[in-house]
Amino acid sequence: MNTLRKTIIIALGLVLAAFAGISFRASRFLKEPVVAGPSVARVATLGEYFAPIKGTANDANVFFLEGAKPGGTVLVLGGTHPEEPAGRLTTWILAENAVLDQGRIIVLNSTNRSASTVTRPSGAYPATYTIKTDWGGQTFRMGDRWSNPLDQWPDPEVYIHYPSKQNLAYMDIRNLNRDWPGRPNGTLTEKTCYALIQLINKEAVDIVIDLHEAELQYPVISTIVAHPKGLDIAAMASMTLSDEEFKIGMEKSPAELRGLSHREIGDFTKAIPLLFESPEPFLDATRGRTDARLLLEGKDDFVVRAGKRGLLFEKIDAKGWPIDVRVGRHCSTLIQVLSVWSADHADKAVIMTGVPKYAEIIQKGVGAFLHDPAKSDPKKIYYE
Amino acid sequence: MKHIAAKSILVLLAALLAAGAISLAAGQGAAPKASPPVLVTSCGQSQGPAMLNVILKRVGVDYDITPLATPQDLKTKPYKTIIVTMGSSLKGMGAAGISIDDELKRIAELIDAAHKAKITIIGAHIEGMKRRAQGADAGDTTDEQSIDAVAPFSDILLVIKDGNSDGRFTAISQGKKIPLVEAEKNMDLVAALEKILK
Repeated sequence: MNTLRKTIIIALGLVLAAFAGISFRASRFLKEPVVAGPSVARVATLGEYFAPIKGTANDANVFFLEGAKPGGTVLVLGGTHPEEPAGRLTTWILAENAVLDQGRIIVLNSTNRSASTVTRPSGAYPATYTIKTDWGGQTFRMGDRWSNPLDQWPDPEVYIHYPSKQNLAYMDIRNLNRDWPGRPNGTLTEKTCYALIQLINKEAVDIVIDLHEAELQYPVISTIVAHPKGLDIAAMASMTLSDEEFKIGMEKSPAELRGLSHREIGDFTKAIPLLFESPEPFLDATRGRTDARLLLEGKDDFVVRAGKRGLLFEKIDAKGWPIDVRVGRHCSTLIQVLSVWSADHADKAVIMTGVPKYAEIIQKGVGAFLHDPAKSDPKKIYYE
Repeated sequence: MKHIAAKSILVLLAALLAAGAISLAAGQGAAPKASPPVLVTSCGQSQGPAMLNVILKRVGVDYDITPLATPQDLKTKPYKTIIVTMGSSLKGMGAAGISIDDELKRIAELIDAAHKAKITIIGAHIEGMKRRAQGADAGDTTDEQSIDAVAPFSDILLVIKDGNSDGRFTAISQGKKIPLVEAEKNMDLVAALEKILK
């Protein structure tokens, strides 16, 4: 009798594990199409800049958007933290729509591709989310903040950042935005940062823009975080956007906090790093049901209640923070930064059209700017 | 004859209108003026000086930015104006290794030295409501402490309207008879400072 009960329990466990495994596998290997836009001149992979990355989970696509006239070079990183989808969706819009008149924009949709293949353990995250389009919809991997443990394991007791030797939380050794500037003989995530530094140097990148989202209980929100050498650009962009489109602040990258893109890229390369943060209630600890609806609509009664108790650093009401608003903020901020940079650096200007601004994305929705792969030239389709 | 009378009446009317405009201006107080060179500092280590760096470049006056300025800095150049930005950043102060008490002490000494040297003090609150207690962490009063340390001791108050939506700066201006210059938008600060400094 006892044996029979144990056998049934084990069998039930195996059935559940099989269902979970199928779901995990489907999410991990979901192919996300990108229809290369009119200015995409070539698509490389990150491994071309550092051979040990070649063929790994982080051998991400690198889209080169080039204008006819020479100018500056801007690198835009989406998917540093894939669970912050406004970043990836913004780079998708760039890769599929941007028209470069002058200069170059280099785009990564999956900067930490490994992190896009897993969700938060015990977080009850949805495996995927779908952006509605007039041709049906496009499904994306949900992703997590950290690289997939299947690709990088085990974590140390304490993560000692290289080269600063600062002690950081153990799991942040898998956090791409705590591993800059990386090291050639480190973990997969550290090697990824190292490869990106090689890309920045080899391609003589002028500005690096790292796209993020933040919980409303975190003070660094609705802002541009700038390395000291990018403070003027951030100040001008934030003041103009706050006057004309939406409120956005600016913060100086603290010298004491190591491993972040807005600090280490500025310290270790000639590029100016900027990091954008938009509000994402999905990330708040006090959220309710953690599903794709919360991810995309940004509505949560519990987060609203936290706001009424003065616990938030950004406003929220019943309208929430929909994905269209969050992506709109990133697109407009990027356009404004390019405008400020180009006005002050005529010979290194980056002149771009074709990317919608805040109001247009809110009016039409993000899906209006995603292209139907079924109706596109197969030669222009790349998979993340 | 009629022509001369008509002209005389028109001139008289114009003179009366001009007198009315002047008296109206006098009733509001003369437009506040200050002179360069300007030293910009912060009470609370927020991003105000970084914003003013962009603004003052466009104004085109001689200025320096010293976020942790002390009375000694006033001796390095014949400054005629200091702009002290109000509003605190716990992160900014943490990065500088100081507390709000350190900031209040430093600014009190700087303002005292500036008054003695007859240097005009512009108290500037230009980051809106996020640099007020209403926009800070629950229980964080450092923004208001920064305002208390600077605004009542300023010669001119320069604020973005959004940060004065509760009338705090208007009350200080009226109570202390300090001219208040309000800018609707961030980039309006360029024109406001051009009027003050040029």
